[in-house]
Amino acid sequence: MTLLPFLAAGIGTGSVYALSGVGLVVLYRSSGTLNFAFGALGAIAAYCTWSVLRLGVPPALAWVAGIAVSTAGSFLYGLLIAPLLRNRERTVRSVGTLGFALFILGCTGLIWGEAVPRRLTFPTDHYFVLIFGVRVTYTRLLALCIAISMVGAITLLLGRTRLGLSMRSLAADRHLSSLLGIPVVRIDAVAWLISGLFAGVAGLLLADLVALNAVFLTFLVIPAIAAAIFGRLQSLAGTALGGFLAGIAEALLSAEPAVSSYRSAAPFVLALIFITFVGGRHLLAQHE
Amino acid sequence: MISIRYTSLIATITLVLVSWAATAAAAPNCGLNNGKPATGEPIPIGSINGVTGPDDFSSSAKAADAYFKCLNANGGINGRPVKYITADDQWRPDVATQVATKLVKDDKVVAMIGSNSIIECSVNAPLYERENVMVIDIAVAHECVLSKNIAPVNQGPRLSGVGMLRYASEHLGVKKVACVIWNLPGGPPWLCGGFAEWGKRHGVTVQNVVVDPSSSDYTSAMLQAVALNPDAILLNFTKGGIIQSLSAAEEQDLGGKYKFLSLASGYVVGLPDAIGAYWKDRFWTELEFTPLNGTGADNQNWIAIMDAYGSKSDPRDTFSQGGYLAAKIATEAMLKLDPARIDRASVSDALRAVTGFKSDMLCNPWYVGDGKRHNANHAGMIAIAHDGGWKPEGACVEIDDPELDDVFAAEAARAK
Repeated sequence: MTLLPFLAAGIGTGSVYALSGVGLVVLYRSSGTLNFAFGALGAIAAYCTWSVLRLGVPPALAWVAGIAVSTAGSFLYGLLIAPLLRNRERTVRSVGTLGFALFILGCTGLIWGEAVPRRLTFPTDHYFVLIFGVRVTYTRLLALCIAISMVGAITLLLGRTRLGLSMRSLAADRHLSSLLGIPVVRIDAVAWLISGLFAGVAGLLLADLVALNAVFLTFLVIPAIAAAIFGRLQSLAGTALGGFLAGIAEALLSAEPAVSSYRSAAPFVLALIFITFVGGRHLLAQHE
Repeated sequence: MISIRYTSLIATITLVLVSWAATAAAAPNCGLNNGKPATGEPIPIGSINGVTGPDDFSSSAKAADAYFKCLNANGGINGRPVKYITADDQWRPDVATQVATKLVKDDKVVAMIGSNSIIECSVNAPLYERENVMVIDIAVAHECVLSKNIAPVNQGPRLSGVGMLRYASEHLGVKKVACVIWNLPGGPPWLCGGFAEWGKRHGVTVQNVVVDPSSSDYTSAMLQAVALNPDAILLNFTKGGIIQSLSAAEEQDLGGKYKFLSLASGYVVGLPDAIGAYWKDRFWTELEFTPLNGTGADNQNWIAIMDAYGSKSDPRDTFSQGGYLAAKIATEAMLKLDPARIDRASVSDALRAVTGFKSDMLCNPWYVGDGKRHNANHAGMIAIAHDGGWKPEGACVEIDDPELDDVFAAEAARAK
């Protein structure tokens, strides 16, 4: 079986992991919290968009509505809940987002459930480029472009703006930032706002590319962790690249029947190899 | 003037009579039908369904619940209402064990009716046999058709797949099939392996493509299937996996080149609308019961009961039909008993004695019996996605799965 078509298919999977991984790390870079609720926020954006579309609202407005919901939800968490954990360790603050994710999961189950078959599509699904005989839709390429754009935009924000400077300070040491007069709660809320906005956009794309299923989208955060490890929880570019390569690897393993049914372990195996060579200590020492 | 008044009077009377007749025809029919709420000692009946997880299998329990509500409003089981207790096993074996133990030992249910879970049968079958609890359920796993105390009203995925392949080979010219399936314990050998076994008897080659259930990459799965150069691709998934597979297949424009087939799990009311116009007349599914919009009296009664006693949001799907049938079978069996002596032993005996149960929702009469295993529903129909809905194709067809050889032999022996 030739590998080239699977390489092309891997571009699609890679874009999914790159997007999810960058989403996980974006908030970490700007506030020091790993956002395990990224997938769940994206899911609620996608469900809201689906519901609004069924009311006959034009697609663009429906997308905006969905993204607005995820942005508002993330902002409210950053404003009301995140400050309650502000003096706790990074780990506790990150686990708090897991609670947020489960809460959103419960809400989607209550409001929408999984009994009704649903699908979200975009106009870009009908346009494609052919790579090694496999169609790679514009939606998949858009996901990859958004992941790369987000890397660039956040890097510029953090490196070239006053707001970004405050965010980096907050991520490095919250207590010291507070002593320096940085408005910690406000900066944190802005970071959550940005994260929610990105989650909404990513959620719509992932619902199209993967499935309009809250459990699936929420737990896409798990392979995203593998991508985040490639970036050592620090480099957005490394995260995006790691996610992309993990997706390619997973797709290529489909061509080998002996391992194809276990290929979704590929991101974790690669992350494990990466940690073994780079060293896990680097990962933690920088961020405690 | 007088003639106009007379004509108007006749028209009005006719309108009233027709409306009354239409209302009467739509009224649910359950149990004693006496309109008197049952107030006696409740009869506890349980159900375990996989709800919180990758998919929601609660529709059979919701239909059974609607039926029992109708029953309780109409005299119950000779004056005794059914107390229907449902539990969610969250698709986890440990939770399935816990809830089954609670239902059997704490709630002391006399039977389990309308259960639907991918893990429940394998985990709890020994408990049911030990405690003499009969289960009338919707079979999803192999153990559901291998257990002495479990009698499914539906065919189960294995028979459903064989029925689909039989139709595809006889009517669509299919000779080579890629069987795409999740890598769940026991799934590939029982299902795809079983289809291959059937295929050997009928000149159809079946090869596996196994997919990790947590995978987000169905494009590669479709490429794997296509690499086998099949005539048809058989999807062994619930509706979520079907949508993901067909989305990936549509992206690669495979719908016109291969026949896309599904087990009965694809027969969901909103699925043709969700997968879109691309799949019009290109996606087939097998039916474990007769069509959802069937005009037979029992099917119409199911719809009436769901409308009167269910929620608007309760799915009206094939599993819901199964839940209704399971509840009806249990009700008819219990109505034959002395209400003062309804307990687990008497209900289990009554359920085992069920034979020749007929319904326009079933292709053949249903029964339980004393056998070591039960798989009485072994005939089905086919439907194709068409204009946002399902269009039935052909009549009932017997499913000649090699795994049913013992069942057919037992039926033949009983007939003598």
